[in-house]
Amino acid sequence: MVGIAAVALATAGCAGSGGTDNSGDEQKAGEPRTLTVWLMNGSAPQTLTDSLNKEFEQAHKGVTVKYEVQEWNGIQDKLTTALGGQNPPDVIELGNTQAPSFASERVLTDLSGDVDKLSGDQWLASLKASGEWDGKQYSTPFYAANREVIYRTDMFQQAGITAPPTSRQEWLDAIAKLKAKFGKDKQFQPLYLPGQNWYALLSFIYDEGGDIAKKDGTKFSATVNSPEAKAALEFYKQLVDASGTTAPKDNDEQNPEQAGIYGQGKVAMMIALPWEVDTAAKDHPDIKAKTSAFPIPSKNAGETAPVFQGGSNLAIPLNSKNASLAKEYLALMLSSKYQAQFAKAGMVPGASTDLSALDANPVSKAMAEASKNGKSVPATPKWATIEAGQNPLKDMLTAYLTGAKDIDAATDDANKALDAAFSG
Amino acid sequence: MRKTLGQRIALNTVGVVVAVLFGFPTYWMLTSSIKPSGDLLSPDYDLVPLAVTFDNFASALAKPGFAVHLANSLIVTLGAVACSLVAGVLAAFPLARLRFRGRKGFLLLVLVAQMAPVEALFIPMFLLMQDAGLLNQLPSLVLVYFAITLPFTVWTLRGFVAGIPFELEEAAMVDGCGRFGAFRRVVLPLLGPGLVATSVFAFITAWNEFLYALVFMRDSDKQTLPVWLSTFKTVFGTDWGGIMAASVLYALPALVFFLIVQRKLVSGATAGALKG
Amino acid sequence: MTATAQIAVPAGSRPPAPPRAGRPRRAGFGERTVPYLLIAPAAITMLVLLGWPAIQVVGISFRKLDLGELVRGEVVWVGLDNYVSVLSDPEVWTITLRTVVFTVACVAGTVLAGLLIAVLMRHLSSKVRISVQVCLVLAWATPILATTTVFQWIFDQQYGILNKTLVKLGFDSFAGFSWFSSGASTLTVIGLLIVWQAVPFVCFTIYAGLLAAPRELYEAASMDGATAWQTFSYVSWPAIRSLVTLATFLSVIWDFKVFAQVWAIRQGGPDGESTTLPLLLYLRGIAGRHFGVASAVAVLMIIVLLALTARYLQLLLRSREADVS
Repeated sequence: MVGIAAVALATAGCAGSGGTDNSGDEQKAGEPRTLTVWLMNGSAPQTLTDSLNKEFEQAHKGVTVKYEVQEWNGIQDKLTTALGGQNPPDVIELGNTQAPSFASERVLTDLSGDVDKLSGDQWLASLKASGEWDGKQYSTPFYAANREVIYRTDMFQQAGITAPPTSRQEWLDAIAKLKAKFGKDKQFQPLYLPGQNWYALLSFIYDEGGDIAKKDGTKFSATVNSPEAKAALEFYKQLVDASGTTAPKDNDEQNPEQAGIYGQGKVAMMIALPWEVDTAAKDHPDIKAKTSAFPIPSKNAGETAPVFQGGSNLAIPLNSKNASLAKEYLALMLSSKYQAQFAKAGMVPGASTDLSALDANPVSKAMAEASKNGKSVPATPKWATIEAGQNPLKDMLTAYLTGAKDIDAATDDANKALDAAFSG
Repeated sequence: MRKTLGQRIALNTVGVVVAVLFGFPTYWMLTSSIKPSGDLLSPDYDLVPLAVTFDNFASALAKPGFAVHLANSLIVTLGAVACSLVAGVLAAFPLARLRFRGRKGFLLLVLVAQMAPVEALFIPMFLLMQDAGLLNQLPSLVLVYFAITLPFTVWTLRGFVAGIPFELEEAAMVDGCGRFGAFRRVVLPLLGPGLVATSVFAFITAWNEFLYALVFMRDSDKQTLPVWLSTFKTVFGTDWGGIMAASVLYALPALVFFLIVQRKLVSGATAGALKG
Repeated sequence: MTATAQIAVPAGSRPPAPPRAGRPRRAGFGERTVPYLLIAPAAITMLVLLGWPAIQVVGISFRKLDLGELVRGEVVWVGLDNYVSVLSDPEVWTITLRTVVFTVACVAGTVLAGLLIAVLMRHLSSKVRISVQVCLVLAWATPILATTTVFQWIFDQQYGILNKTLVKLGFDSFAGFSWFSSGASTLTVIGLLIVWQAVPFVCFTIYAGLLAAPRELYEAASMDGATAWQTFSYVSWPAIRSLVTLATFLSVIWDFKVFAQVWAIRQGGPDGESTTLPLLLYLRGIAGRHFGVASAVAVLMIIVLLALTARYLQLLLRSREADVS
């Protein structure tokens, strides 16, 4: 054992002296430097990062971009140790609901002075908000996505539904028509809706004019027992009952994976992200041609319901030794040239209002349409904990849908749990 | 050992039932790996897969880095097993045979050292490895897995050494071996079953470890298989069929390792049977 | 004895190693230092890589160590604040009790099943035995990410093979039955998963011990007309007693600390009813990156573990248990 340790120490010594250490940000151009960039698996298409990194290296003589794809599994632990370590990465990607907790810890570089250089006038409002803390900007929008209603065009046609629903009433009517047409098949579900799709619930709450919480000064207090939230919960139940969905009431859209069930061809609609169509089509390629999407309908006819916007932000760790170089890298990533490629890849770009590339495909077009009305969860550092673990909104949905609690008890309990989490 | 045919059939039937019960989840993983991913959760009755595909294996093997991660995993795992066995045998001998001050204190350390939860330990461990300059080096993982598996190894081997009659060693020493020679020629061969049990334990523990591998190894070409396995999860969803196929591939080396060492178990058993 | 002879004879025929007796004065010193030299690698490794971080955890439990403090390298002592915040939560005692009961149930199931299967393996034909062993090794070696997923699929409400099979067998009430609707049934499924993965270790350990028991004793017992139970209690049990105790002790520690499986199945739900102490550590500490709080929960866990295993440790220290093994 001692021998191994000694050998290891020796090699470590070598690596340490010749490695990627770059002391001081003020090195002269031309001296070899390494910019370490961590993006998440699946975020940026490889063709994009390849050409971006190449362009950046050409523009900055002597700089090597060390681009490392990170996995979602365990990313919190990895970021914690990497940021706390001696040699943190220079650019990192953070989930937008995680961003406030990192900002509040003061472990990110303040970007307030650089917003203009980073295409700040084009930023997506909900992601900009999640990057702010204490009046300062600690992370920039990267890209986003939101849920929509994915549906089977052939089934709609056969059921005599001529146009996608544009109001809640039309949506319920469509469910009734689908049920009348295909209901004989026991496995058929007009709308697959598991009990814990809290993203869908958020949309309904926003649509009623409610929210999860309101901000009093610096503190958040939960508002999920408001009349608006109760109305949203009622509507959720109405959808579940109308559809007669056999989806579990005590689980979410990932367990079992709803796209797989949609792919089996007995489901006419699901509330999902655009790329779930590809997951469904993996083994049933023909389903793609029969699938389209519409934005989640609003209670006000002709409008689309506001949606929860999920996505990512970009940030520079406080201890980065190449902060100014990292800012230039962000500027390039957020330039219209590369942001357009995100739209092409089917995501809502975080720093470009040009969504035209999304219109090419009806499934992503519906997402783009709804994204103009996107919101995010309360920008509090506590939210990361809520989402990482036992989300009271999920328990609230299950309790009400299964009849374990009435609507007042379910919403009051969730409100209490959220308040405890906000203050905890 | 004299049993009637009926008894033997009954016992073996129970054995088969046990095998089926314990094998079923693994069987389910195996069938899931050869199902088209749309059939993973199917309303049909699919105890035997209704359709078979090998796409999942193809995509798992085509995923970049499999060979590199496999090699890394083998290096750290076998390294940890070897260290653990050597240090374990060295410590087991005096613990079982010799009397010395601090012996019980050491035994207590062996037992209590395992009580802290990994989730709380990883930050001190990370800082320790950083101070030692071992981050992003495979030996850091060897050391950690060595340490994690050592208490069990020491304790178990100590029991096996204690179970070997001292007279055997004495006989060897009378025959001209030193104490060490007697140990090497007499005790070590009789430790067979204990070495198998502890090495399989150490192998599987190291083979499956995720958190330390993730946070210690910065470069993706230094990662181990458990981390590779998690690359099947992306923002676009999870390739469950791929995970199942990869898990099958992943469990194979552990099985091979066991089949190799279990031959030792049998020979060790023979040796054990002859003593006394 | 033939084996001994075969081993001993070639040893004797070799030129004897230079005897230590050549330096009689230093032999005493040597005899005294030898044990320490032999345990040194193990002792140093455990002290540095397990002991030192564990002591750090205790230290951190008295500090405020969020991500910010970690990154800036600040040391902020807060006394007992972390403990107060953990212990003032009325849930914490329910969770502690639940964790203890859950651990005891898992350990009992694991050790009992492991022991029975190990004894059974001695009596199987070699083909059946190998298949049992292969199944056990596979159960053990399968990555957690796969096993937790497979268990969720097997127990799935609509599509799970278990419910489908039960319905086929005529138990129609299991159509759409949710195995995860209450904390108790969720913990039962998690317990099955843990036992399933833990039995192989216990079983192989005990089986190795059984093999080390002299076969002559079994034959003698059988010739004396001993019953199976007598054979077990006079021949097998003495050979495996210390291993069973050890396996029990280790299972208590491991099952008490198990996180990944409990988390993966339902994240401690529904309504927090399957939350155990390691999940509390994660939820209160790691998820929000409050490592001081996480360490306080860890210390609480160590204290409960010490209480659970006190009897064994006491026996070890006081009696000659450690000597006779």
